Formats: sequence, structure tokens, C-alpha cells
Amino acid sequence: MGLLTDPTTGQGKIIQILLNHHGKICVLLFLSSLVWFVLLAHNQFNAATYFSENALLPGLVKGDYSDDGVAKRVMEELEVEADAHQNSIPQSWIVAKFRQFGLDTYLHNFTLNYPLGKKQKYTGTNIYGILRAARGASTEAVVLSLPYRPPSSTNPTTLPGLALMLGLINFFGKQKYWAKDIIFLVTEHEQLGVQAWLEAYHGISCGLGGAVDYGDIDGRGGPIQAAINLEIHGRRLSRIDVKISGLNGQLPNLDLFNLVHRMCAKEGIKHTFYNKDSSSHPNDFVGEWRSKLNTLVSMVATQASGVPNGNHGLFHRFGIEALTLEGYEHGNRVKYITFHQLGRVVEGIFRSLNNLLERFHQSYFFYLLPASDRYVSIGNYMISLGVSVAALFAKSYVTWLQIQINGKRDTSKPKDDASIKTLKMVAADDPKTLNLVGVGSVILMTHFLGMNLLYLCQKFTSLGYFSTEDSLLVVLASFSIISLVFPLVIKRCFRISNNWILLNILALNELATLLLCVAMHNFSLAFIASTIYVLPAILIDSKKNSFYKKTLWLLLHPLLLLFWAVLFYTGFTFMDLSYLTILKRAVSATKTTLVLSVVDTFVYGSWPFTVATSILLPNWLMFWWVLIFSESRDCMDQASKVTKDKSKK
Amino acid sequence: MFILFTILFQLIFSVNTFSNLYSDSFHEELLIKRLSSGHVYSYFQFTTLWNTTLDKSTFDHTHLWPRSLGEILGYHNVQELHVSLTQGLWRYQNWGYPVVEAPPGAELWVWFKPDTENVEKEWKLLAGALSGLLCASLNFIETSNSMTPELSFRPVGVADISNPVNSSFLRYATLPREIVCTENLTPLKKLLPCDSKKGLSTLLNAGYVHNTNYHSLGLHFRQTCSGKYCVNPVIELRQTVSLVYDLSIVEPINQDWSIRKLFGVGVGSGCPLASSSRIYVDISSNETGPVFHLTPNPDSVALSMRGGYQSTFAVYDISSAEKLFNINANYRKLSSVPLSYPPPLYVNRYIAGYGQERGRIVTKIHNKHRTPLKIIYLENIPWFMPIYYHTLKVTANNRNINPIQKRYHPGKERVRPYFLEVVLEIPARTSIEVHFEFDYIFLKWQEYPPDANHGFYVGSAVITCMLPVGRNYTGLPPEASLISDSWNASQQGYLVQLRTESLILTLPTPDFSMPYNVICLACTVVALAFGPLHNITTKRLQLVKLDEEPKGVFPFPKE
Repeated sequence: MGLLTDPTTGQGKIIQILLNHHGKICVLLFLSSLVWFVLLAHNQFNAATYFSENALLPGLVKGDYSDDGVAKRVMEELEVEADAHQNSIPQSWIVAKFRQFGLDTYLHNFTLNYPLGKKQKYTGTNIYGILRAARGASTEAVVLSLPYRPPSSTNPTTLPGLALMLGLINFFGKQKYWAKDIIFLVTEHEQLGVQAWLEAYHGISCGLGGAVDYGDIDGRGGPIQAAINLEIHGRRLSRIDVKISGLNGQLPNLDLFNLVHRMCAKEGIKHTFYNKDSSSHPNDFVGEWRSKLNTLVSMVATQASGVPNGNHGLFHRFGIEALTLEGYEHGNRVKYITFHQLGRVVEGIFRSLNNLLERFHQSYFFYLLPASDRYVSIGNYMISLGVSVAALFAKSYVTWLQIQINGKRDTSKPKDDASIKTLKMVAADDPKTLNLVGVGSVILMTHFLGMNLLYLCQKFTSLGYFSTEDSLLVVLASFSIISLVFPLVIKRCFRISNNWILLNILALNELATLLLCVAMHNFSLAFIASTIYVLPAILIDSKKNSFYKKTLWLLLHPLLLLFWAVLFYTGFTFMDLSYLTILKRAVSATKTTLVLSVVDTFVYGSWPFTVATSILLPNWLMFWWVLIFSESRDCMDQASKVTKDKSKK
Repeated sequence: MFILFTILFQLIFSVNTFSNLYSDSFHEELLIKRLSSGHVYSYFQFTTLWNTTLDKSTFDHTHLWPRSLGEILGYHNVQELHVSLTQGLWRYQNWGYPVVEAPPGAELWVWFKPDTENVEKEWKLLAGALSGLLCASLNFIETSNSMTPELSFRPVGVADISNPVNSSFLRYATLPREIVCTENLTPLKKLLPCDSKKGLSTLLNAGYVHNTNYHSLGLHFRQTCSGKYCVNPVIELRQTVSLVYDLSIVEPINQDWSIRKLFGVGVGSGCPLASSSRIYVDISSNETGPVFHLTPNPDSVALSMRGGYQSTFAVYDISSAEKLFNINANYRKLSSVPLSYPPPLYVNRYIAGYGQERGRIVTKIHNKHRTPLKIIYLENIPWFMPIYYHTLKVTANNRNINPIQKRYHPGKERVRPYFLEVVLEIPARTSIEVHFEFDYIFLKWQEYPPDANHGFYVGSAVITCMLPVGRNYTGLPPEASLISDSWNASQQGYLVQLRTESLILTLPTPDFSMPYNVICLACTVVALAFGPLHNITTKRLQLVKLDEEPKGVFPFPKE
């Protein structure tokens, strides 16, 4: 506090520069953050990936998996079996196969109590088998998982992956070098199945209010150290895409990612990251930079959503490093990837994981990838966020200084009858009249409402006046409208103090803190939020704001922001449709997104929706109060004229 | 006359001594059983029996008895000793019960004689001596990881009736991290009278023994008795090796097994010093399970009716075998996958929860029997895993079960482990969960082992139960010393002491690469500083006159 109360504050040279040019400085900081981020895609600003954990010994042994006849035969059986079960998992067939190959096989039943609407129940069954390691006492385990998709599923099939898995089980079972139990997991209902299984394995519920009844499982194999998820769409593949983004933006250890790429490279398989392989263009600097920036932005966009882009994403919370190998069916190319090659890759990965003495703890857990063989370390990318957050802090500091200086000017000047009007204006900035009660009650009110919004959503949908989607939109929209109109009404009906400068400072600080905290968990989300909110927040002034600023801020309402994002995405995907159709689709997609994000909060414990409603929205409202109660520009101009006249006298 | 008398006396005395010395016998046995999961279980038992009392001078002269072990036993006042060194986990659910139970890693439990003055000291010294004898890290056993179970462990041998069992003379410790390898097998074989030169021990080839899914070495010493009224004292040493082979690793093509496939060599003749050398093959499953045919034909077939379950054994007497021979089991039909049915009682244990703040240990005990079973649950929690006793709960299908008895001694950091013993009754055909919470704690930085991020081992819990039926049971009755004694030995109850999985606990671990980085940096700085300093201090700077004219493309113009 010494710094803030020191009477000499604001006298230093740097402070003076900051005071005089803070607008320019803040904008400059913000722009430099963007520039820094864009530069990260360039090879000068990122580094080549490397193995930190030597125990992995990637690809040191020659792969032995050669018998892909089993996988091919099983594939034929499996296709017949899958056709017989259009909507469900061919439970008995898979169990029989697992048993035949010598696995300890177990079933896991789970129930979803749908958290919204009429609380419907959905059930599912996972099947898993454990290959007991010959050289271990079930103290550690690794997982090979696979989402089972029945023929009626809208997602591309994963049957070839299951065939490959069975081929691998047959092969793995005959090896004597396993030191860790290998769990083969076939899940139902996509991510829900994996989540339920993981909760059952760890005997703990992650979501809210018991949305998932995870049931009980019997067989376990000690702490799981890593998991590989297979999504293989065809027997002959064109390429393998590696997916890493997890729930709430968590990522697997970079060593695991490197391992997969090393094994793919060893077997000569085309492997990609966000559909781009690691081929470099040594002569085309701009082209290479653009391609890397593209990958980088794709990764940031996926990570920011906080939604896992594969079943691997749910493992991360439990300290299990996991990623997905997605194999795309090849078109008409002559060269394609066979089960044989892919089997060797998976074998290599598992043998490396088997070598691992310690848990994954080296290398990076926080990183961005501009290509499959380049990475940006946290030390580099955090700068871009740090700089833009610095702009917010600078702005709030300058605003605070201005109060101090104005306060001093006020007391030093002799009182003059003629300057009463001026004094009134200045007195508004007096630290002694900071309007603590007003500011405090606004902060409390906005945050209290924000915190209860999630609960409100659930309650309202369960009433069942509308469909779940509509009722959610109704709740959020009506909440938003009421909270928008409320300050206007207050301003009209009551004569309350117009000094909200403290609210502005606190809102700036809160936004900056929020961005930093989110960046600790999910850099991408924080960075995207900062590019959207930092500049407008800097432009908001506690005293004078034009109509345009208010409109701009209104357009950045979190709910509208979601709509813009969906609209943009819809427009981009369906370019050939008419504007009206796109708009309609965007509205319905927004509703779906809202429902999904609320459901994710309840089922998986994902937090973007909670953060948005309990902190971001209240923060946005605080700025809105500042905007509403600040003087209009004309009024300010008059006041400044009076001040100038006074000084001339 | 006096001299003659003395000589005569000495002669008589020494004959007496020698007659005592030679009143010992050695038996070697091998039991081969195909488990219901398709694995092949082979259990070697080398038994040495000696009709003598146990005191300090007993082992001054030994005949068949391993003297190195005997001296240790006598010196440390041991009444009963059980050591096991195990790699892998016995899977009760699929394999039934073994003849001797052992947890993963090393386990040692010892009853000291009631006249032992300083049990703690003897315990520490005994562990150290055994560590040398067996090449195992038993020297890591100390008071901070050993305890005194009050209910679970009783003396297996004959105890003095006049002295009630006082568990303060019992010590129990496990070392779950211990890795068992050929360096432990060799010293064990050296304790045998024939070493590994003759007899069944020739089958124990390290290359094959360590290829198994489970292998366990054991030393079991106790005092027992012989005679109809149990009047003649006998000391007994059983050296055991249990192996479980996975046939899909040994023989991927078909499920046939043979002695040569399992052990790499055929069987020769028995150890000449052995009173009996026999191989038993359990052929009970021939009637219900997959049918197999044994070649050569067994010398005899033995029927055993025990606990309501009948078993059939093919017996091979190899003491008179002249040359190497192989026992081969050929399966007739292979199309079916044997269905394994679980034994009456089995157990699973795991750590629940994630993150490094608070966890929960859950032990699931399954009673598949039609009557309630009473069990004693012994938990062995190391000091670095502080548990909350008040969170101890026993539930069956979300209903609370009240334990019959609870014994608890809280642990103390770096001094003693947490000791918990619970007596329970499990309702018929029910699975119960015993669970309690614990904290993850920080250790001092020197207490982290190498490869700190591997985690910390928590030893197995022990579940003791008297089973009312003999299904899946292969253990020996308390009065028996040999496997063949267990046939037709129906008892009141069949004692099992199940060992659960050992656990790996991931404590919060500091980043140990930092000191390494600091060392690297410091070394670099020193190296960089050393070069110039060395140059400056050892070399003299002198002005040298250039004799030659500057050459090059652009020579400097002369003035």
C-alpha cells in the first residue's frame, strides 16, 4: 500500500510518460502481443521436438508384430456381427473373443442421469479385458481404448480399429516382456463411456450432482500410466492423424506425442497433426510460416473450446497421458497403410511405454504445436498473453493515479465561488468519495447472480415449459436482458452518484486476473479471450464513452459472442446456403452448443461454461455499468470548456 | 581303567550324538497342476526333517540340514521363520489357492522364542543375516516397516501349551519393492543337500524359472513333532519354489506341456540323499475339463478326498530312475476355452481417487461361498501414508457392516507403520468393501529413492480365513510336512491367508532435475572461468617483433 499512498507517486519520469501516453502504450502492448503470437509459428521462435525421457527408448527394438492375418479374419467376422447389432455393442462376441485370447474380461455397466430436462436415464456397457503382465504384479497399467460405434452411428466407423486391437491382443498375449498390465477397453456412447469407466476405475465422481452413475468394476491393474485411443476408419488408410486436445484444454505429455510420431516415422506411415504432416518447404519461408500458423491456430481454437477432440481427452484429468490415433480411409491412392504397419506402430508405442520406469514427468505438459515436429514452450507463448494483460494492468494503474492526482489538485486549489461547477466535476474523482457502497453492491450483485446462473439453468429446464434447448436459451437471454436493462432503469429512476471510476479499475483488474488464471490451465482460451476483450476494455473510460463504444461492448456480450462464433463457423462451413438459412442454422446450433456445454459441466466437470457465467459475465456487466453511468461525451466537453475558462482567468 | 572308561564313555556319547545327527531325512516333491485358467502351476517342496530339539548347539554338527541357515536360527533364538521372495501376483480369482501364499516382493515373519530378551535387536540382526544368506535386500527391514500382528499370525508349528501365545515375540515385515531374480534362486538351491546337481532341483534353471508369470521362493522353518502322541520333537525346514507358467508364452501353438518345455531339461534320478523323490501331476480336471494324456504312464494313481472335493494325482517315483525322462501332457481337444470359476474367497485392493491431495484405499473381499465367512483383515500401511482411522468403513452393497473387532496402532513418521487389524463376518455370497482415507505427504528430499517418480510401494494386506470347504485348496494341513500327507486330510477348516495386490503410491515428488541443472551450470561456469584464468596465470605476454612483411590480397601500405 505504500506505493499507492505515497504522496510522491506519479512524479517519476516513467510515470509521467505513462500518464501522458497511456492510451498509445496500452494499444501498443496489445498489438505486440498479437504480433508475438503470430511470430511463434516461425521456426526462429519455436524449437524442434526431442525426447526428454530416455527410458522410453523409442523404436530401439525391431517390431515383431507380423501376423495381421488374425486382424483381417476378425474384421470379416466383426462386420457380420456388427450388422446384427444395428444400435448396440455386440457384447457377447467381444467378450468371447477377449476370453479366447486369454484376457481377464469384465463388463462395466453405467447410467447417465441426464442433468437437464426431465432427468431421463441412459445406460451403457463397456467391455474391457486385462492382459496380466508376466513380469509385474499389477502395480501399473497402460490402456488401449476404442470407442465402439454401431452401424447406426453418425460418426465414421471404428470397426477396423477393433479388428486391429484383437489382432494385437493375440500378439501381445504371447510376449513375455510385459511388465505392466495392458487394459483393452471398448467403450460405448463415445466419451460418456470412457468417462464412466475412468470414474469407476478410480472410484470417484467428477461431474456435478451425480450425473453419471459410474457403477462398479471388478478388475483393475494398478495406476494407469498412459492410454492410446484408436479411431481407425478403414482397412486401408491414407494417413494417421494424432489428436491430443483434452478436456478443459489439458494436453498429454509432449514425450508421448513425440513417441507416436517417432514410431510412425519409423514404420514409414504418413502421420499428421491437424491434417498437416511435418514436411517442410526450405525455400518457401512465407508458405511454411503460413502453414505452421494455420496448424497453430487450429490447435489453439480446439484447445480453447475445452472440449476433448477424442476419447483420450478424458484420461488427462486422472494423470494419465493419452492421445488418439485417427486413421483416415484412403481414397484411390496406390500406397496405403496396412494393419501390419499400424500394428507395428502400436506395438512400438506399447513396448516403449512398457520400458518406462517412472511416470511421465519429464518434457512438457504445457506447449503449443505449430507442426508435428516443432513445439513452442510455455516460456515463449506466455509472453504474448502476459503483454496483453500488462496493458490492462497499465490502464488500471493509470486510472488509479489519475484519481490521486486529481485529489491532490482539488485540495491544493483555493475554493472559489465561480468554480463550483468545476469543483463538482473534480470532486467526482476525489478518493474520499469513491462511491464504495455503489461499487461494492454492483460487484456483489453481478457475481452472485452469475454464480447461480448454472443452477438456475438446470432448475428452469426441469420445469419443462419449453424444450431443453429453448428453455436454456430463454433463461440465459432473459437473464442477459434484465441485467442489461437494470442499470438503465436505476439511472433513470434514482439519482445516484455517477462516480464509478473505482468499478472501472476493479473490473480491469478482475479481467486481467481472470485471463492469467485461465491461462494457467488453458492458455488458448485465455489468449482468445484476451484478443477479444482487452482492447475494448482499455478503450472504456470511466468518464466519457461514445455511443459506438457502448454498442461495441454490447456486441461482445458473452452470449452474443458465442452466437458470432457459431455464425462464423456455420457460414464458413455452408457457404452455398442463403443468409437466412445460415442464420437459422446458427441460432439452432447456438442452442445446441449451450445445451452441450451445460451438460458437459454436469457430466464431465468441464469448466468453460462455469467460468463464463460466474466470472466473465459478471465482469462484462461491471464494464457495462461503467459505460452506462459514465457521462456522455457532450457533457464532458462542456465541463472541460468550463475548466479551461477558469484556468484562463 | 579310568582312561578306558573315558574312551568308552566318549564312544557311547559320540555314537549317541551321531545317532541323533543321522536321525534326519530329506524329501523332494514336485506338484504339477493345471489351473482352471489354463496356466500350469508347479510347486517344488524340499523338506528336511530332523528329530532333535532346537537350541544353540543343535547346529554345531549337521548332516542334511543346511548349517548356514541353522546357525542363524540358533543364534537369533528363532522359534519359527517364514521367508518368501516373490515376483508377480498370485491371481486367486483365476488360479484358486496355492500351497503356500506369498505377497509380491519379500515377506518375512518370525516367531522368536519366549525367552528372547531384546526382540527388536534380534529381529534387525536376523534380517541382516538372512539378507546375506539369500542375497535379498532384507536388511532394509527395521522397526519403521515391521509390526506385530496380534490376530492374523499364529505359530504354525508346535507351541508350548503352558505358555499362551504372546504376539510380542512375533515380527512381520514386507518389502514390496524387492525384485526377485536368479541371485536369490542360487543361494536357495545351495541350501539343499544335493545342491542343483541331482534330483528335482536340477529342474530349477534360472532361464526358465524367471520366464513365468509368477514365481515365489520360500523358506519355512518350524518345530513340530512325530509319534502318535506327538512326543518326539522334530524340526522342519521346507524350501519351496512355486511357478506359474502361461502356456501361451511357453507354447503358443497348442496347449500341451511337458517337463522339458517348462524347465528346459528332463528329469533325472532323484537326489541320492533323499528319502523320497516324487512328482505328482494333478489329473482331476481330466474328468471335467479338457482331457489330456500323460506319457509315460505314472507309477501309481492316488485318490484324495478332502473337504468334500475329490482330486486324483498321477504319481511318479523318480528315486530309482536311471536316465533322463520327460513327462508329457497331450491334450485331445483344444477347441473349448476352459471356464474358470472363482474360489470361495478372493480379494482385490486398489487406490481410489486422483490427484495428490487425498486418496482412499479400497479392499474388496468377495465371498462366493454359501455361508458367511469370518475373516481377519490385516493392513500394513507404511508411515509415509498417514491414514484416517475414523474414515474406516466396511460396506456391503452400500450397507454398513459393523466389524467384530478392531485393533489399531497409529503409525508415526519414520518410526513405525500404521497397524490395523479388523475381524469381520462377510455375509454369504456377498462382496464387501473395506475402505479408509489417507493423505499424500511430502518427504524429506533425501528420502526419495532413485527414480523417485516411479512411486512408493505399499505392501499387501493379509486376509486370514478358515474356509469350510476344500475347493481349489492345495495347502498342507498343519500336522503334515509333505505334499502326500495332505491327501485325504479332511479338516475342520482350511486356513488361507490371502495376500492382496501391493500398491504404488505416487507421492508429490520434487523436480530432481534441478540440482542436476545447477551442477551443469556451475560446471560450465567453472570451466569457462578456468580457461582464461589458467592462461593468464601460466603464460607470459610478450611483445614479438614481426620480421616478415604482411602478406595477403591487400597488404598494408608501408609508411
